[in-house]
Amino acid sequence: MNKTFARDLNMNTLLLKLAVTAAVTCLLTSNPIGAQVSPTTPRAARVQITQGPAIEMTKEFLTIIRWTTNNPGASPEHYGVVHYGTDPKNLSETAKSPIRLNPDHASTVFRVRLDNLKPRTTYYYTVDSEEANGTEDGAKSAVKQFTTAGESQRAGRSRAWD
Amino acid sequence: MKPTKSISTVTICAAGIAAVLSSSCTSAVQRNKEDKKGMTSAYNPYPPGILPGDLNSEVERVLREVDLVENRALERWHALALPIVRGQPPTLQNTGTEAIETLGELMNFDRNMSPNRNQACMSCHMPYAGFGGPIPSVNLTIIAYPGTAHFRVGKRTPQRHAYAPFFPVLQYNQTQGLFFGGNFYDSRATGVLLRNPDAEQAQGPPVDTQEMGFPDTACVAFRLTTAAYRPLFELVWGAGSLDIKFPRNTEAICDIPGGASTFRGNTTPIDLTPQDRTKANAAYGHWGQSIDSYEQSVQVSPFSSKFDAFLAGKYKLTADEMAGFELFNGKGNCNSCHLDGRGTTLKPNQNDTGSAATVNPLFTCFGSSNEGVPLNPRNAFYYETTPDSLGFVGNPYGFGYRDLGLGTFLRSGFGSAPNPNSNWTQSAPSVDGQMQVSSARDVAMTPPQCPTTEAGARPYFQKGFFHNGYFKSLKQLVHFYNTRDKFAFPVTSGHCPPGTIEKVTCWPMPEVKNNIDMTSGNLGLSDKEEDQIVAFLETLTDGFTRPYPNIDVFTGTCMTCNPVTDPNCSPSRQGNGSLIPTPPLPSCASVICSAPPATSPPIP
Repeated sequence: MNKTFARDLNMNTLLLKLAVTAAVTCLLTSNPIGAQVSPTTPRAARVQITQGPAIEMTKEFLTIIRWTTNNPGASPEHYGVVHYGTDPKNLSETAKSPIRLNPDHASTVFRVRLDNLKPRTTYYYTVDSEEANGTEDGAKSAVKQFTTAGESQRAGRSRAWD
Repeated sequence: MKPTKSISTVTICAAGIAAVLSSSCTSAVQRNKEDKKGMTSAYNPYPPGILPGDLNSEVERVLREVDLVENRALERWHALALPIVRGQPPTLQNTGTEAIETLGELMNFDRNMSPNRNQACMSCHMPYAGFGGPIPSVNLTIIAYPGTAHFRVGKRTPQRHAYAPFFPVLQYNQTQGLFFGGNFYDSRATGVLLRNPDAEQAQGPPVDTQEMGFPDTACVAFRLTTAAYRPLFELVWGAGSLDIKFPRNTEAICDIPGGASTFRGNTTPIDLTPQDRTKANAAYGHWGQSIDSYEQSVQVSPFSSKFDAFLAGKYKLTADEMAGFELFNGKGNCNSCHLDGRGTTLKPNQNDTGSAATVNPLFTCFGSSNEGVPLNPRNAFYYETTPDSLGFVGNPYGFGYRDLGLGTFLRSGFGSAPNPNSNWTQSAPSVDGQMQVSSARDVAMTPPQCPTTEAGARPYFQKGFFHNGYFKSLKQLVHFYNTRDKFAFPVTSGHCPPGTIEKVTCWPMPEVKNNIDMTSGNLGLSDKEEDQIVAFLETLTDGFTRPYPNIDVFTGTCMTCNPVTDPNCSPSRQGNGSLIPTPPLPSCASVICSAPPATSPPIP
């Protein structure tokens, strides 16, 4: 450090001690673009299923149910909800999977994972969707059914967790 | 007990503890000095082949580059005109901004901020990697970086910190039922005190046992007292701000990496008066705020990409870039989380006439998501199950460790940080497995001499993507979003069935099955459309409208391969030659997966 800089530094330090901390702290703790958060689009007047639900895939270890609605709006994160079971009159199990709404898309695809269902078993299900806070969209399907794949698709299973 | 007796007892106890600590510290210091001299071998609990062969030379190479940038910053400081203090409240007029940004840069590149004076913040975040990991072989293999104590290694890839200062304070939005903000993959730098997550992020690594590794936050203030740039610190934060009466054994304590058994879990082993501890804490806050200032500056987050030029009407996207942009917003649905700030979703042949919602879109929603990334058995963290020479064990659970991200943080769990808001804890099961949605900006940044992240005919710079570095190219990353569910197999990495190719036609099971985001996973993109999204991501690299500072300091070697002779010399199969079989996995450690509130459903 050169002498001129050191002398100037000493002249300023007393004032700075009293003054700078608050000013700089104010300067630093603001986020100028902090206003960019997930957009919340208006809630749709009515949410309807426009396609599906249908089985996107079913393997021994994983089944995915997929359906499309008009964009429900509101919370940017929604959950697809599947109520299912082996008795069509007692859909006692529930699976939920989150998706992110795209505010600019007219429709929204919901996809829900059902892990480790019983092989070669017929399941019955209905679907619904809801906001992240649990508010339902009100678009519920009729009861549908599917049958899972058999044990033959257990290829490579020996290295799975279970 | 009378007060006087109480005080005497406390004094005696303190003296006794100090004596014990001093004694045990002395032996630990001796061991540490021996380690520095190479008299004892480095901590190496790793099976053969886990650590990359060039690790030592690459760490040294990065240190040289760190020193180069530090010297540039010193020159910048010395050339800086002094700011003038004016106004009420008094403000550093004219050059105050550059003063604090330069101070933050000097801190970021200061290797003295570690017990062994061998690691700076930037040892894991160099400019030419978009402030991500600077060592290609590490990105290819162990994915996390060795800390000051060789070779303790962290658990995640270094998160690119450009644009991190723009994340808001972590908040739970009651209406939306979502968490927003914070810093780190698990959002544990909340901003609760400094009201700035990035500043609090900068306070993490200096005392992370597997990173810079100080045993006490006051070690930062202590090392600042001897830093060449101390006058600049005092210029910005006030004369006397570092006038702290440190005890004689402070250097000896700060020379010992945190987590050493000699500290017996004490996180404030430096014996300071309450007044001096307060000063040291204030200095640590200023450390974080100064670094945040640098990271928010045009030195790091300049909004100077092709895409920014496109928004300003000064660059026309190529056909592939434009197609990628349309896919990013449309079929790929990428901008449902990586918000691009645009007002319209483009259709084929439609011109972009929308107005930007913000001038500078950040390509993040500030939220978190579990994308179902497979467990990466190359992560060195799984092997740190035995004590090092200081008695520290990084991961006593081995492959029983599961990275629940935000969920573990909300439980104040292993490997994260205390959650400052108990109201949040109940939400842990709904966020298990979620990691912060990073900004897509600079995801493709590489050193100039290695022009791409993608393996092929051109020299490339190997990066690692996502929190555990499982993906080795942007192509793989996009392909995963596109086909995760289509090519799902109930196997772990390294065990894809015959006839399939891992990362191409086989995706191993997710590390954490709970809360997997289903926006993606079966997008129906063609191979060409995946490539077009990659082309668009490459437009988000800063340095197009003006040079990116310090991108030129890379002195390492680009990776090369021959696509004619090497089947893995393609973006799709990049890094597959380094895959190893995941061992049979034990159940998730109860301290992680059974900590209340319980995971739902239970995580195996």
